[in-house]
Order: sequence, then C-alpha cells, then structure tokens
Amino acid sequence: MFRIAIDRSLCSGFGSCVDAAPQLFRIGDDGIAVALFEKSDVPAVLEAARSCPMGAIALLDEQGQEAA
Amino acid sequence: MTPDRVLIVGAGLAGSRCAEVLRAEGFEGEVVLAGEEEHPPYERPALSKELLAGRREDIDLRPAGFWSKREIELRLGTRVQRIDVRRRLAFTSAGQIRWDALVLATGARPRRLPTLEGRPSVHALRSRTDAEILREILRPGRRLAIVGAGFVGAEVASTARQLGVEVSLFEAGETPFSAVLGPEVGGLLADRYRSAGVDLHVHARVDGLRTGPQQRPRAVALACGNEVPCDAALVAVGAEPAAELLGGATVETNVCGLTAWPKVYACGDVAAVWRPSVARHVRTEHWTSAAVQGAAVARAILGHSATAEAMPYFWSDQFGLRLQHVGYGSGWARVALEGTPESFSARYYARDGRLVAVLLANRQHEAAAVRRELTECRRAA
Repeated sequence: MFRIAIDRSLCSGFGSCVDAAPQLFRIGDDGIAVALFEKSDVPAVLEAARSCPMGAIALLDEQGQEAA
Repeated sequence: MTPDRVLIVGAGLAGSRCAEVLRAEGFEGEVVLAGEEEHPPYERPALSKELLAGRREDIDLRPAGFWSKREIELRLGTRVQRIDVRRRLAFTSAGQIRWDALVLATGARPRRLPTLEGRPSVHALRSRTDAEILREILRPGRRLAIVGAGFVGAEVASTARQLGVEVSLFEAGETPFSAVLGPEVGGLLADRYRSAGVDLHVHARVDGLRTGPQQRPRAVALACGNEVPCDAALVAVGAEPAAELLGGATVETNVCGLTAWPKVYACGDVAAVWRPSVARHVRTEHWTSAAVQGAAVARAILGHSATAEAMPYFWSDQFGLRLQHVGYGSGWARVALEGTPESFSARYYARDGRLVAVLLANRQHEAAAVRRELTECRRAA
C-alpha cells in the first residue's frame, strides 16, 4: 500500500499519470494533477509515478519514506 | 526464456529506468547497471537549472538504498571500452562482464566546436561534474559567452542572469529555436532574452577565442570580425549519440528497442527507435522518450507486452517561462500563435492542415488537453 503524494510545485500538468492510472488521477481545473485516493496498491500507481516527467509523484510507505 | 544476467551500459534515466522496470516486472536474474560517472543515477534536466543555480543539491533519481534494496548492482565509475557481441562480453576499466542480454543506454555527449576545442576556460554541460565546474564561474559581474542558443544554452543563460552574470549568447540561425519553433516564436524568445539583459547575437559564427595573459580568455571572435569580451565560454551546440560501442554513428532499434544484434538492445539518447506513426527511426533527447524506451526494453527482455508509443514531449524553464512542447517539431508548414509574450500557445500544422505539435508558454493548465488532442490527431491520420 502506497500513500500518494503530489508535489504541486513540480507538477507540469502533462497528464501522463492520468493515462497510466485514470482511476487514481485527474487533472484539476488549475491544470495540476490531483490524486483521487490518498492510498493505493493497484500496480498502475507505480506506472503513473514513473511516467511523470517532473518526478512530481512520490509513493510513500507508512513511515512517510519514499517506497518506490 | 529470460536471461540470467542483464548488463545495462549507462546509468542515466533510460538505463536506470530499464533496471527498475526489470525488477518491478519480476525479473529474478542479475541486473548490472554500469555508469561511467561516479554519481548514482540523477536528473539531468536539473543540471542547467536548479543545480546550476545552487537551489538544489539532491538531484538523485532515487533515494539512497533504492538500488541495493532491489538487488540492482550499480557499478559506478565504470567505463565500458569495448564489447564483443558474439561472445557476449563487455570489457571495462575494471575487468570483463559477461551478459545474456545487453542494453546500450550510453546517452549522448556534447558536440564540440573545432574553433574552440582545447582552449582554457571553454566548458560544456552534460554531466553533474560539468555543472559543478560551471557553477563555480557563475559569479556576479563575470562575463560568460554561450555558443548555441538551444535548450542548454538558453537555460544556462537564464540561470546565469539570475546569478548576476553578464551573458552573451551566440546563435547561428535568424532567431533562437527557429528550426523547431519557427521564427515567430523565436522572435518572441529573442526579445525576452534581450530584455533580461542577454547580449544576443543572431546569424553569429564563432570563429575562435582571443586570449590574454596566462591564456585567459579575453573575447569571443566572430567570423564577421567583431569581438565580444568574455571571461569564460560555454559550448552548447547540441549533442551526438555515444554510439561507438557498436561502431556506428547511432544505434537503430525496432519499436521495442532491439538492435540488429541478438539480445542487444538500446534506449535513450543513443537510440534511433522505429516509430510506426511516422514510419522512420527517430532519435530524441527528451526525458519522456528515455523513460519510456528504458521501460520498453525491460519489457522486451522479459517478453512482456510492449509499451505504447509515447507522444514526444519536452519542457524548458527559461527567463520566467515554462515552455512545454508536445508533438513532432519537424515537418510543420504553418504556425498559429495566440496570446501575449507572458503566456502564449503556438500550434503547428502540417501542409495537409493536421495539427502536429503545440508549444505552450506559461500555460500548464492546457498541457493535458493538448496532449490528448495531438494523440487524437495522430490516430485519425
């Protein structure tokens, strides 16, 4: 289980996370990605984090450490 | 059958991403990630921006311990000098490595300029070490001459101006980026550079460097006879693939990253990958391409289904603009510009009226929609 953290200062609104995991992410009205759930364990969350050109999506473990 | 040992040559984004995805998708053999630099995999885009500006020191792609935890064997400071594809052997500065599958992710290196070659205080920017050296000379009042107003040149110019450096910038074309973005957008950017205090020279041919006492640079000499004073110079005239291990100028691959050699793959800046949508091999130096290709090669090695072709994308932060470019920068016939110098979009159309690329300047909220639109246009074509 990962906690999804989006760094709004890094996000460029490219939307590759939405392509990788439409069930978990959308682009908000301000053009910045929003996670629809706080936590997830679906494999697509990894793909979404990896696809981000800005490295704006961190997946954290229970201790708040970067887990993937 | 999956291989026992995968050797990845090059520990940049493409190579390290390949290693990560091999593990993430269940590969249990050995993964050796050999990098020439001493640094663990890092974010190269930060070199001309945050790292150079001194705003950020930690630019590692992954936290410490990430690689060992996944049993990815990082061999840093290891240069692969030669490979024998028949015997599946790599000869390195630290001995031989046998492989079952080889991934060439050797990247690119800065193109050199013969007229400035080997002169003191002439720099290039490609590696973290390059950036650390360049950073030392970016002091208020120093004069930096930047040859080439491409993305590296423009971003360094922007960072250097923020640091109070006097910057002269030399571009061979009629405007910066005129080939990719067209003269209209190039003109907007040129105005912006000049109003930020950059001494921009277009149609400029740099002929050499004039030096003073102790061979210290004094001025850049232009072919037209003019001289522009400087204390140091940066050559930023593009990069060329580091493809010599296979003996060619570039490494062509199929859509999955497989080369003409069995079990030899390539990804990232070194690779010219077959793109079905444009029916040719395309080499790009973009972050997104390196990431997608690294993952695609991992999947090809494992026999997993292929990754979809990604829409080309790059971004650049310069002079208070975030530029985002989506699509193919070549082959457009007409550009439609809309907005103000602070926030604009440029839409690029092919001769048949099809939208092929879009540049956004400070319009991040449009990026996702633009990418969808371009993907639709390509499907319809």
